[in-house]
Amino acid sequence: MPKASIVVPAFNVAATLPATLNALLAQTFDDFEVIIVDDGSSDSTVAIAEHYLNDPRVRLVRQPNRGLAGARNSGIAAAQGDCIGFCDADDLWEPEKLAAHVAHLDQNPLVGLSFSGSALIDDAGHLTGLAQRPRLSGITSAHVFQRNPVGNGSAAVMRRAAQRALAWRPGFETERDWVFDETFRQSEDIECWLRLSLTTDWTIEGVPGLLTRYRINNAGLSAGVDRQYASWQRMVAKLRPLAPAFFATHEPAARAYQLRYLARRAISDGKGDQAVQLMRQSLRASLRPCLREPLKTGSTLAAAGMLAAFGPRPIAWASRIAAGRGPKPERNG
Amino acid sequence: MTEQLIVHLVDDVTPGGVMRVLDHILTAPDLRRGARHILRRVDRVRVVSRRIEADMIVSHLSVNWRGLPHLIALRAMHPDVPLLHVEHSYTQAFTALNVPHKGRFHTLLRVAYALFDRVVAVSRAQGDWLAQRGLVDPDALRVIPSCVALERFRALPAPASRRVIGAIGRLHRQKGFDTLIEAFRALPDPDLELHLHGDGPDRDLLRDLAGGDRRIRFRGHGGDPAAIMAEVDVVAMPSRWEAYGLVALEARAACRPLIVAPVDGLRDHIAAGATPVRGGGVAAWSTALRTATAAPSTPDARAPEAEAAFADAWQQLIGELVAPSRAAAA
Repeated sequence: MPKASIVVPAFNVAATLPATLNALLAQTFDDFEVIIVDDGSSDSTVAIAEHYLNDPRVRLVRQPNRGLAGARNSGIAAAQGDCIGFCDADDLWEPEKLAAHVAHLDQNPLVGLSFSGSALIDDAGHLTGLAQRPRLSGITSAHVFQRNPVGNGSAAVMRRAAQRALAWRPGFETERDWVFDETFRQSEDIECWLRLSLTTDWTIEGVPGLLTRYRINNAGLSAGVDRQYASWQRMVAKLRPLAPAFFATHEPAARAYQLRYLARRAISDGKGDQAVQLMRQSLRASLRPCLREPLKTGSTLAAAGMLAAFGPRPIAWASRIAAGRGPKPERNG
Repeated sequence: MTEQLIVHLVDDVTPGGVMRVLDHILTAPDLRRGARHILRRVDRVRVVSRRIEADMIVSHLSVNWRGLPHLIALRAMHPDVPLLHVEHSYTQAFTALNVPHKGRFHTLLRVAYALFDRVVAVSRAQGDWLAQRGLVDPDALRVIPSCVALERFRALPAPASRRVIGAIGRLHRQKGFDTLIEAFRALPDPDLELHLHGDGPDRDLLRDLAGGDRRIRFRGHGGDPAAIMAEVDVVAMPSRWEAYGLVALEARAACRPLIVAPVDGLRDHIAAGATPVRGGGVAAWSTALRTATAAPSTPDARAPEAEAAFADAWQQLIGELVAPSRAAAA
């Protein structure tokens, strides 16, 4: 039985799947399996995946479309490893990523989820110069809620025991347990991480390095900022009964960070008025992002205002200049 | 055969689960065979100033950083006396919800528990957690599910209807009665009632949540647990953490349908027939309440072995630690 399993949810990803699989098969840690979960693709995803089945480490699971959470749950059910990682089929793992997480989990028996920072790549797979460099240690539930240090869906490797502690089976589910909540089509990551933090005593900790290449998809970037916010709100409403006192304390700041994040997405999408609205809401929710990260908050406000006043061109110009060392984008939900 | 003297140390004598279990230990006839159990209240700040004369010392104290030096002193002053700790408070879900820095907390527990010859978990689920987390040496860990005298609960007739839902316990966020009240309010049936028996810091908040719903009644701190049980038809325990859950045991003995959150020690009761409510949300609890109040019958289980198993486990532990030679001869 392999020590580690890597679950690759794949839905219509013919263009990017080969690069993802090649990166996984080039891991320096060699005792692992890759489980591709075809989530009802209508393109040549399955044909490409089948081509990789010559490699004995690769397995393919097929299902009618259930969404990202559903694909991950199926992958978890099929996985045999003690460490189970996730890599979306348009992201890439650096060769030493799995080794780093397996060693981290082996040496820290209380850690249930090990993650790393990520370098951001564009549609063509080129490094953008931007990165997610989250806090790695001393992570509390409040950090998870406000800043989602795990960052994206291809950063985490979890211990199977921690997943078991999270798993449940809804009454209508007949096939396998849920670790991720399949009723969410967005915010499914943060829902899972925060639930892990609030309902189990497994800790969430990072390892140094930018070990994931996370693709920022510019097409349909803010495919419904409103919808994204609605699903974040639903995540909060779902988890609030677990710990009302925790939410009473930390929800305003978390909401402010989330709204600021959505404002930045709106800016990237050229929607100045919406960005200004979101930043106003963010400031009303809590001033914590202003106090903790005045530059980032200030620049977001300025960009939103400029965009609303002058249109997208000055912003596009400024962000090209800033790309080398500019403010870090993050993904909160 | 000389009588062994077992001294139980406690720092919090507020009426509640711990004191009820201790009361049972002091009075249960099966536990008095060959041993005399006495209770000693100690100060949280100054635990022991001089040696306690006893054949065995059982700590029911709360473990925390401030108290750690006193536990160390207790061990140092009694190097040759078997020392036990019963963990009444800490659980996996407690840690998840109340401890920001979990690693540090695990260190505290590991250090504190290492001072004792045996650590007693009060539920199987808690014991599993202590073992899996490596907080207690496997050889030193024992599981003895908590117990109280149950004959008066067993004597109660099974409820004739499913009309009154009982929420029994401190009005504190631990018990999750906020979720229960919201879930209950979503039920349309005008004949159902929700009775909250107990008092605590969240009383006003819970009253606000109940709003004007006249089916929800705050009965205050009721006194006799068996009399309270007689007044309810269904018992709901949406606790956020729970080391064991005596009310669940009493509900089982009284043949009341029991619905619980699947956390910590409440999982022991699921194994014994209680209905789990997964997910913890208000909607899930509404559904569970609706199902439980419509259910026609309850298995007449009545937790028949509880007291005997409790007494046997303690007797075995005493035999193992206090008089190994005599136990071997017997």
